[in-house]
Amino acid sequence: MRIAVISDVHANLEALTEVTQDIERSNIERVFFLGDAVGYGADPDRCIKLVCDLCEIKLLGNHDYVAMGLESADGFNLMAKESIMWTQKTLKRKSIERLSDFEMEATFLDFYMTHASPEHPWEWNYIFTDLDAQRAFEAFTQTFCLIGHSHIPGIFARRPDGSIEFDSPESLTAQPDHRYIVNVGSVGQPRDGNRDAGYVLVDTETLHFEFRRIPYDLAAAQKKMRKAQLPEFLISRLASGQ
Amino acid sequence: MPEIVIKFNDKVIERVVTEKKRVTIGRTKDNDIVLENRGVSRKHAQIEFNDGSAIVIDNESLNGTFVNNRRVSEELLRDSDVITIGKYALEFHTVSERPDPASQMDGTMILKTKQQQQLVENDRLEREIVSRAGGSVLLGLENTEVAEFKIEREVTTIGKAKFVHVRARGFMISGIQAKIVKEGENYFLVNLGRSGKTKVNGEAVDRIQLKNSDIIQVGKSSLRFVEGS
Repeated sequence: MRIAVISDVHANLEALTEVTQDIERSNIERVFFLGDAVGYGADPDRCIKLVCDLCEIKLLGNHDYVAMGLESADGFNLMAKESIMWTQKTLKRKSIERLSDFEMEATFLDFYMTHASPEHPWEWNYIFTDLDAQRAFEAFTQTFCLIGHSHIPGIFARRPDGSIEFDSPESLTAQPDHRYIVNVGSVGQPRDGNRDAGYVLVDTETLHFEFRRIPYDLAAAQKKMRKAQLPEFLISRLASGQ
Repeated sequence: MPEIVIKFNDKVIERVVTEKKRVTIGRTKDNDIVLENRGVSRKHAQIEFNDGSAIVIDNESLNGTFVNNRRVSEELLRDSDVITIGKYALEFHTVSERPDPASQMDGTMILKTKQQQQLVENDRLEREIVSRAGGSVLLGLENTEVAEFKIEREVTTIGKAKFVHVRARGFMISGIQAKIVKEGENYFLVNLGRSGKTKVNGEAVDRIQLKNSDIIQVGKSSLRFVEGS
């Protein structure tokens, strides 16, 4: 079975639309979403609707959680805070209702999924270092953990001897006796230096992972953000992919 | 004959119709009107009747006697004045609305049902719980794993998802169906999930300030909100 895993859409409708079309062309049976439908971008309501139409599993991210008023934005940086307050103001009642059915974690076959880290998912911790990954590997029992949150696609592999290696390949086929934490990157706000929308295709039989990058109408997304008077830094970082 | 209608949380719990010259009000059993509540002094106040007029006199009570929300030491009562003592409201009527000589005793008639006594007893138990918890609590009533849940977070989530603070059951309810938001001293219940699945005292709500003893229903689960002091 071929599945698509998307994350961190961040209200970027142009990016999500292109990714959706790429998924439709790719003979995919199931689509999973790993959180952060909103925050930063100018199209929160339409992105939530599209994620709901497209995805079988839908997880909450920290921006979704704050947008619903379930946590304060105190942990956010100034620009993230400004954009999430804008989101709270514009978000329709129906969108809140849709988010209210998103989960914090999910499993499918030998895959565990959450937005940030399997170690206390609701604390939204990042997995950046080998040590972070080491602790995260202890917190799930499946072979694969799929996450988003950092907007940096890549794979932490744990070898049978317990050693950990990080890599950002274009594709990877899982090896026996290894375990993996796969960050699927971000659809709506990549931060790995590549401005194209990112997501992952997984073949659950061959255990092959493909990191897809899809160009989208960046100028249109930026124009909407300017019209919404969202912070300029968030608008320009879309172009640099940083 | 004058009548005093005693209300607790907006519910009538006693009607007192009297021919006496003096009616005493307080926490101890030797009063004509016994009000069982922390805010009530042992011999809190009295009403004196003289030539068709009635005067309420506060006996230097700790928490005061109020007439129409104004603190008084002595006040001439007019028809429909409301005397507030602790959490009780005593409505004064110069003429009884519902005279019933059959239950007259000792010149004073008191109508008190079992259900009404239960109301006061429940309040006493709830006071014990919040004082033990040291804050506002949710008491599980039906279809909930929660017995007592102290609401100490800024936001408390209720729904059928595994990760919410208070799990609820029911058909078509959302993972996070509702939240209770603490704003200063006040608590608000906000519906997040499907409309009509979050109710307070039987009414579907979107956002409402919770009052003591409100019954919150989320799907099939029900909880009582007990406000801490």
